[in-house]
Amino acid sequence: MSAYRVIIKGILKKERKHMISRELCSRVLQVAVSTGADYAEIFAEHTTNRAVSMIASRVEAINDTVVAGAAVRVYKGLRSVMASTVDTSESGLVACAQKAADALGQGTAQIDIVLRERIFGDIHPIGIVPSSVENARKVEILKEGYFAAKEYHEGITQVTGNLLDVDHNILIANTDGIYTQDRQVRTRIAISAVADLGNGTQTGSCSPGRRMGLEMFDSEICAKEVGLHAAKQAITMAGAGYCPAGVMPVAIGNGFGGVIFHEACGHGLEASSVAYGQSVFAGKLGQQIANPKVTAIDDGTIPNAWGSINVDDEGTPARRNVLIENGILKSYMIDKFNGRRMGMESTGNARRQSFAYTTTSRMTNTYIAEGEDNNDDIIASMEYGLFAKEMGGGSVNPLTGEFNFAVNEGYMVRNGKICEPVRGASLVGKGNQVIMDIDMVGKNLDMGQGMCGSSSGSIPTNVGQPMIRVSSITVGGR
Amino acid sequence: MDFNGFKQAVIAKCEEMNIAEYELYYQVGGSTEVGVFMHEVNEFTSSLDGGVCFRCIVDGKMGYASTQALSAQEAAAVVMRAVDNAKTLEAEDEVFLGEGGQAYEPLELTPYALPATEELIAATLKTQETLYTKEGVVDGCQSQGIMQESRIAIFNSKGLDLSYENSAAGLITVAVVSNGEEMEDAFKFKLGKLEEIDIDELTEKAAEEARRQLGGDVAPTGQYPVLFSPKAMASLLQVFSGIFSSEAAQKGLSKLAGQEGEKIASDLVTLVDDPFHKENPEPMNFDAEGSPAYCKNVIEKGVLTTLLYNLKTAHKAGKKTTGNGSKGSYTAPVGISPYTMYLAGGDLTEEALLKKADSGVYITDLSGLHAGANAISGDFSLQSAGFMIENGEKTTYVKSFTVAGNFYELLKNVVAVADNVTLPMPMGKTTFGSPTVWVDGLSVAGK
Repeated sequence: MSAYRVIIKGILKKERKHMISRELCSRVLQVAVSTGADYAEIFAEHTTNRAVSMIASRVEAINDTVVAGAAVRVYKGLRSVMASTVDTSESGLVACAQKAADALGQGTAQIDIVLRERIFGDIHPIGIVPSSVENARKVEILKEGYFAAKEYHEGITQVTGNLLDVDHNILIANTDGIYTQDRQVRTRIAISAVADLGNGTQTGSCSPGRRMGLEMFDSEICAKEVGLHAAKQAITMAGAGYCPAGVMPVAIGNGFGGVIFHEACGHGLEASSVAYGQSVFAGKLGQQIANPKVTAIDDGTIPNAWGSINVDDEGTPARRNVLIENGILKSYMIDKFNGRRMGMESTGNARRQSFAYTTTSRMTNTYIAEGEDNNDDIIASMEYGLFAKEMGGGSVNPLTGEFNFAVNEGYMVRNGKICEPVRGASLVGKGNQVIMDIDMVGKNLDMGQGMCGSSSGSIPTNVGQPMIRVSSITVGGR
Repeated sequence: MDFNGFKQAVIAKCEEMNIAEYELYYQVGGSTEVGVFMHEVNEFTSSLDGGVCFRCIVDGKMGYASTQALSAQEAAAVVMRAVDNAKTLEAEDEVFLGEGGQAYEPLELTPYALPATEELIAATLKTQETLYTKEGVVDGCQSQGIMQESRIAIFNSKGLDLSYENSAAGLITVAVVSNGEEMEDAFKFKLGKLEEIDIDELTEKAAEEARRQLGGDVAPTGQYPVLFSPKAMASLLQVFSGIFSSEAAQKGLSKLAGQEGEKIASDLVTLVDDPFHKENPEPMNFDAEGSPAYCKNVIEKGVLTTLLYNLKTAHKAGKKTTGNGSKGSYTAPVGISPYTMYLAGGDLTEEALLKKADSGVYITDLSGLHAGANAISGDFSLQSAGFMIENGEKTTYVKSFTVAGNFYELLKNVVAVADNVTLPMPMGKTTFGSPTVWVDGLSVAGK
């Protein structure tokens, strides 16, 4: 008898647990639409964030947080109202919905609410959920990377390391009838090294991550390699002179080099800019906006990739969207609200950092597709220029397209050969110009991980590309 | 459950687990935002965010855990998580909790009762309509109104029991202008009491800044005198402010380690850290550890007077805390940051400074500081915009060029400082300010 009960308990435990019941969601949505909204949604989350940090060869801090709350959003035509709360009790949620409804104005309910549960397939399986693993194991992994960097060279003066894991559970219910949950687990290791060879301090870093659990370290990423990569970069840059300033051709390495597309073009293709006419790419669908060598894609469905999702934060399934095909603009990245102003459907790009931010259109995994050129030919084509092997971050003003980004590891190219390393370089230009000037595209597509900051907060996104050549761009140096 | 109930549950759990030294840091913020596009309100947001961070000392280590879910179950869970986290730590620096019963400078903070939502909406609509009357402004421009109130409370086992409340309203306007060929935008905001904000001045400033960016040229490549506007220098100061942290110095991440009492900058450089600055709407009289905050010169006439300390780093250095303990968010461990940090002004007007420089470039804006500036090496190479200086006057508008140098060297290469100290972005506890500053030895890359 007792064994039987245990089995029953086991089965019950396996049942999907909901943050907020379907019945309560219906009641809250009813309150939300009571003043005449034509659409309403609830977004609730329960997230655990953990970060183990090391500095000076010791575990220095553990950041351990729980983010929990909910937001109610209502639309009426082109107006949106969002109210959020950390009180997720029934009365808290109803009060939040009432606040949103009141702010929308005076009116009466126009729509009926019928919620049907939907389960999206999980295209990002998790092998080892980090929140189920003790700190000691995480410290062990982090130390592998940390000491690989620390012990690489006597010129390494300091190393910092972080191992971050996030378990982001979301629930979305809306008046389109969707009632669904998703669990987004991600893991990232970041090692930064500081080096000094007597010619000024320089830094190197490496910070790969995946939409995976700790199995990431068994299959995809070797912590030791991460540490070595950071240390080698710091030592290389510590031995480098300053990058000369001027206008020149630049070859940009694969992986995080794709930040050039992210800044120069990606942000300008987000509905949050396009819908308001605040993008150089607004109104240009079907037109040639990039060099014919450029095909660019935003794909939220790549299994276990850093920027991937099953479902976006408005309940739309993740998609693969071709943004630019052979230089022709094919699609924007659209969320439901901004899509209304544009008269277009959501492309599954609605994202927010947490319940406290209002969702808007954002990137997922955005990259320039492989081309036909060989890497060797790209370098050989340059008489005098810069090889930006690894890029840092950047920023853009989507209205003007003016962008900048930092070169973390650069080398001068002379007579078609990669020569000495150079430090302190940055690239500036205009997005609509630079994507016309990408005149060679290589074959070694890879992705790099970033946290992208915008109006809906900081979210994980991949950038990516094979090696490319920009025929002419301003290089900031001295 | 409210904070007091949560606090009682935490105290009970600590007693049960025999934890003698612990602290709760509570932060909650409510905000209302109104967005206007074209001629109507298109976005309205009302949010309540915040939570509790618990920390405790176990075997000499400080463990942290935080949560937004204020329930009895979570109260017990944060205590257990923090204890577990403390046991994993290896850092050997001695850690402390602040003592109760310390004396604090009085705050001159007049309570501001936030206006009704309707008033905020009306003011935001008025801002947008005023913006539309400005020369060159086209569709695409937006205005936003915000109201926010925040509360911080610190309670610990050593008798510390402090709280702080503040509220403010503000208007933000984004002017978009066009000359038929290209568009430009500029953003201005003003935080304070809603009825005291000059909407006409705010919108005109934004429109004027956007208009002057239309057209324009690219600055020539070379080395010549560079003048930084208060806004540009304040943003540079912000990105490099970490070098004045004793924590960074003790960890080998700032070159200012061991430099206290030494000359690190030009005689013209005096750098002030003032928790009570009149233009900062969020003055503070205690830090994140409950230590008293006070005004100090970090650099005085080129000499590094002191780094910024919290209890842990001060003890390690054999000094007293400077009351600069801070938390990036309520969940973060206690680190170090300044309050209102600004370069003190000189004798010259900005006009006199331009005349003195005669030729060069006047930088009004720097972009991409999170990427193009390395706070550890001091190197920067940044996207810039501004004016050429010819015959002592600002002439052609220039953009899409970079200015490059090293912040440590920049401090030494300050040639002249104007008298126009301003805080361009006075929002939040940590804010930066500067007058117009002339620096030599920087490289410009353009055409």
